[in-house]
Parts: sequence; structure tokens; C-alpha cells
Amino acid sequence: MSGPQIILWVIALAVLALCIRRGVPQAKRAVVETNRGFWRILPMFCVALPMAAFLSELVPADIATEWLGDDSGLSGILIASLAGGVMPGGPFVTFPLVITFSKAGAGVAQMTALLTAWSVYAMHRILTWEYPVLGWRFVALRLASSFFLPVAAGLIMQALLPFFAINLAAP
Amino acid sequence: MLILLRRHASLVVIFLIAVTAGLATWHLRGTGAFMTALWHAWDLFLFIVPSLVAGLLLASALRQLLSPDALARWMGADSGLFGLFIATLVGTLSPGGPMAAFPLVLVLAGAGADKGALVAFILAWSLNGFQKLLVYEAPLLGLDFALLRTLITFPMPMIAGWLARRVPIAWEPPK
Repeated sequence: MSGPQIILWVIALAVLALCIRRGVPQAKRAVVETNRGFWRILPMFCVALPMAAFLSELVPADIATEWLGDDSGLSGILIASLAGGVMPGGPFVTFPLVITFSKAGAGVAQMTALLTAWSVYAMHRILTWEYPVLGWRFVALRLASSFFLPVAAGLIMQALLPFFAINLAAP
Repeated sequence: MLILLRRHASLVVIFLIAVTAGLATWHLRGTGAFMTALWHAWDLFLFIVPSLVAGLLLASALRQLLSPDALARWMGADSGLFGLFIATLVGTLSPGGPMAAFPLVLVLAGAGADKGALVAFILAWSLNGFQKLLVYEAPLLGLDFALLRTLITFPMPMIAGWLARRVPIAWEPPK
């Protein structure tokens, strides 16, 4: 297990310990919910991970360099923001795809914009959850106050990159 | 029933893309590349599972402890930047997928949170949710990237919430 994974387990067990202190039934419910959540998410993994792996075989090695590479600058950030906004599926789809794009030459600032847009615009989530549960007015209000965030995040990352050595394709 | 249908819809779409991409890989790049891709997927799966289980455990344990109702009292229309900060913090710590987060917006609204705080809450959940960060982003893209990106986007929900209080769009929770 890697460092972040060990930290995650320590935090999870600490919070579970807090649950046990509050009462054994609560802790039991937490474990039951964990189990249920795992089996609910497993089918997604079984299709999403092969999908990302096949796509990364199909995408030519440096196709992303020109449009989304480190040198694509603002236009690359804009394209990445649009792509992130229409990208369907949960994190089990998006993060493996970001690895795929990075291996194909996409830049770190551009992938930051893509991930931010996937969180902020999230077309699929607006249609399936936000609009049905909260209504169009809420969607409009939220987009009006947050539409510029993906591009801003990409530009800030671009400005900070010279000070950090980050390589997304490596880990 | 509707929730079940929604979840299965995205499963079916991703399954179809996977099958199409798999066939294309096999056809264009040969059996070797096909098997390599499957092997990579399996590798990635084994890599994610420990974080996935820990993340789910943390999420369900937190759910037993947190009471969003009590926190909403700090998120009213005149709660200022402090209220937006609390909303951002609650959003970052909120576990679970959209089926948990969006209904929570209604709960918070009912308990007194204003539109700015709710915008900050839902953006903090989707941008900086700890579960996504710890289960996927840090293990897959590296801790350096995950931390730097989170540092950049952490204040963003507060900025959006501040703007949302000034945008002339009125919103009432649907009955």
C-alpha cells in the first residue's frame, strides 16, 4: 500500500472508532453501509477500468500534445474545460481517462481545467440529479456564479507549475 | 426505482463504450494489445481497491456522526464569509455520490441555509470532496498533484457562494 492509502486507512479507522464510542449499533451500520456501497460500485469498476485501458491503447501516443499539451496555453485550457464539462460518469471513469490523456501528451494545467470543469459543469449530473431535485433556477444560479472557475483553475495551475515538478503520466 | 434506472443507464453506456473500444483495440492493435489493456485494467483495479474500501468505510462512518441540520444554523443569508466557509467545509467533508449530496441541499435549505451557502456547499462537494480526493485522485494522479489542485480550488466554492448571493436569481426549495 502507498502512503496516501495508509493515511486513508488510519483516518477511516479513527472515524470508525469514534462511531464505536458513540454506540456499537452506529458502528455496525457504518460497516453494513460500506459493504453495500462496495457491491454497488463494483459493476461500474468492471466496465469503466477496461474502457479506459482500451481507449488508452487506441489513442495515438502524442495526439493530445498539440491540442492539450503544456504549450497549448489558454486555448488548451478552454478545450479541456469544454471536454471536462461533457464527460459523463463518475470518478472511476474520469481519473483513469486523465491518466490516458496525460500519457498521450496532455499538460498538467489543462488536466486541472478538465477535472475542475468535470466537477463544476457536470452536464450528466445536472440532467440526472441537480435539475430534477433542485430545479432549473438553482442550476442557473450555480452556473452563473461558477462558470469561470475551470479556466481560472487551469490558469492558476499554469502559473504555479514552474515551481513544482508534477508529472501525471508517471505514477 | 428511478434511482435504480439512472444508475443502470450510465452503467449500460459505459459498458457499450468499453465493448466498442475493446473490439476496436482487438481489431486494430491485435490480441496482444487487447490482453495488455485488460492486464492494465486489472492492475489498476488491484491498486484502487484498498483505497476504495477505506474511502467507503470513512464515508459511512462519517455519515453516522455528522448532523447537517445542526450545521445549517451557521449558513443563513446574513452569515457572511464565515457561513460560506462552514458551507465549504461541510461540502468537502460530505461523503457519498450525487444521490446523497443533492437531497442534502434540500435538507440544508430547510434548516436555514441561504442560496449562497448552498452553492458553496454543492461546489465544495463536487470539486474538493475528500472521498474523491483520497480514493481516486491521490492514488491515481499522485499526492503532489492532488494537493496542489485542491489548494487551488479550495477557496473557489466560497467565491462562487459570495457571487451567488449577489446574482439576481431567486431560488426557493421545491415543495
